[in-house]
Amino acid sequence: MKILVIEDESKTARFLQKGLSEAGFTVDVAGDGLKGLHLARELAFDLLILDVMLPSLDGWQVLTRLREAGQRAPVLFLTARDAVRERVRGFELGGDDYLVKPFAFSELLARVRSLLRRAPPHQQEIIRMADLEIDLLRQRVTRAGQRLDLTAKEFLLLSLLAWRAGEVLSRSVIAKAVWDMNFDGDTNVVDVNVRRLRSKVDDPFPLKLIRTVRGAGYVLECNE
Amino acid sequence: MSWNVTSNTAPWWRTLAFRLTAGYALAGLSLVFLATASLYLVLRTELDKSTDLFLADKLNVVRTILRERPQDWDGLKEEIELETAARRYQQFYIRLLDERETPLLTTPGMAEQLDLPLLASQLQTRSHHPFLIEGRHGQSFWVTSASAAVGSPAKRTDIIEIAIDVSQQEAFLAHYRRWFLATLLGSFAIFPLIGYQVARHGIRPVEQIANTARHISSTNLHERILPEGYPFEMASLADTFNKMLDRLEDSFERISRFSADIAHDLRTPVNNIRGEAEVALARARTVDEYRDVLGSCLEEAVRLSDLIGDLLFLAGAENPLTHLHRERVNVAEMLDGVRDYYEASAEDSGISLTTAAGAEPVIAELDRALMQRAVGNLVSNAVAHTPSGGSIMLATRLETGVEASTVKIEVSDTGGGIPPEALPKVFDRFYRVDTSRSQASGGTGLGLAIVQSIMLLHGGKAEITSQVGQGTRVTLRFPVSDPS
Repeated sequence: MKILVIEDESKTARFLQKGLSEAGFTVDVAGDGLKGLHLARELAFDLLILDVMLPSLDGWQVLTRLREAGQRAPVLFLTARDAVRERVRGFELGGDDYLVKPFAFSELLARVRSLLRRAPPHQQEIIRMADLEIDLLRQRVTRAGQRLDLTAKEFLLLSLLAWRAGEVLSRSVIAKAVWDMNFDGDTNVVDVNVRRLRSKVDDPFPLKLIRTVRGAGYVLECNE
Repeated sequence: MSWNVTSNTAPWWRTLAFRLTAGYALAGLSLVFLATASLYLVLRTELDKSTDLFLADKLNVVRTILRERPQDWDGLKEEIELETAARRYQQFYIRLLDERETPLLTTPGMAEQLDLPLLASQLQTRSHHPFLIEGRHGQSFWVTSASAAVGSPAKRTDIIEIAIDVSQQEAFLAHYRRWFLATLLGSFAIFPLIGYQVARHGIRPVEQIANTARHISSTNLHERILPEGYPFEMASLADTFNKMLDRLEDSFERISRFSADIAHDLRTPVNNIRGEAEVALARARTVDEYRDVLGSCLEEAVRLSDLIGDLLFLAGAENPLTHLHRERVNVAEMLDGVRDYYEASAEDSGISLTTAAGAEPVIAELDRALMQRAVGNLVSNAVAHTPSGGSIMLATRLETGVEASTVKIEVSDTGGGIPPEALPKVFDRFYRVDTSRSQASGGTGLGLAIVQSIMLLHGGKAEITSQVGQGTRVTLRFPVSDPS
């Protein structure tokens, strides 16, 4: 999967390239609108990450010209301004999305995957990781053959981490997915719930599966 | 010394002092003019009338003698020659003429005072009303004539001419006119002066208030106008002005505290990032050390992002163009959701968190995400400030009003409460009861400000009541649907 990042702020471009490459994407970077437009026309990209404020051509102009040229690749806008939301909605072209700076990289990765329709399949009935087994249909969790007694929310939380195993989930993503809380306030609550989940899923066993990524969130992974 | 309260650029005729002065002067002058003029007119009329009566009386006496006692020549002579000669003031003269205009009797000295042929001709041409002529020496005479029947029945008709010297009366009136003019001139000079003094005295408090206002700036907002010693209306103005200053000072204080707080809360994380990175880079370290520093930097960056997000949210809420994404929400269900979210935290702290089931479902049109955030902030505060063993209660109810129904959401706790002096400020941005602003004692201090903003966006209001040692209750009230 090829991603073109059009971003004039070099540090932002650098960490985007690094992070996305490490997540398995092929990434090209353009420092201004004209170069970006040129690259996008020359090479086929699956996704564009486009800063709104760019020298020479701004993000809107780049997008308009690309669409005129018949390019249908989805675009993820990056902006330091809040007023972008309505405008992105106004385009309504191929499921474009936007992120307001500052954003969590994990959030960006989630949006990129969602735009590329590469979200992990949800249809699985049983998710396994090491000796952990989650039966989504019967809402049952076993570890090393032992049945774990989880509350409904704990089960939802574990399922979420398992569905997106290997992906760092930010506290606000977790709060939204599990409790339908659409705000970023007081994410300490998520920590409390993860701690409780851990006490049941990880604490009794030598192999720890739920890992805290400082400042970013939680990830379920098997580091053997 | 400037009494010109409007401003130095205003033309003098637009000043209040000039207008008041002109008004007083005009009123005073008119009053004096009317009073003196009417007095003069009355005086003149009365004097003329008494002269007329005197003349008529004299004519009548002579006529009576001529008619009743035509033979009494001595009586007539005495009446005409002696009676008149005895008078020193208001001397009068009588001449009796027969039908051929031959003088029969004349008051002595009459010919010296009056041009008799002229008098006769004027009396013939003019009517029988008395009129004024000038004597030989410049005196004024009031003259009239009448015919008189001699004997009864009449044998012949004589003519009586009578003239009275009204010079003294005229002099008196002239004196009066001069005095009148002098009074007017005096008034003309004095009234504007008095008016000016009165106006100046009257507007002096305004001027003082203006002076105080002029030199009040952000640095001396504490200055006030002393309300004593002013007339009632001015005292009220000064009081109003002082109250405005109170409010200004209060707002100013809040703004400057806000700036200080924002500086503190922005600088602290930036300083942490900078310091930690700088120290970490000063020499080579292990991978774990780097990881630790990076993690800490990320935490600080998140803290900074959250703060910026909150501030932008508050700024955006003030924008009248901000619009809500309203949807139909079952408020009780939403509260249950919030309770679920905080349940684990509350349980960990040994607090019971419950929602009170209402009698009827509360359905409202609101922005779900924002309302969750408002209630979430309140519950989060309650959890942080309620000791173990306490309880937090969430409740909602529909209040049916006259025009529109109101949704009421209550979050009450049994926590430590808030001191009464802090209560009015808790909705201020960055306000914290704990003034040390340490990170450990809570969030940014924007939580309740955000709650209030969300309420304002919904056309509602957040209110707080608290009793130290008993607990705190926050009540949210907002219309059940978009009022616009």
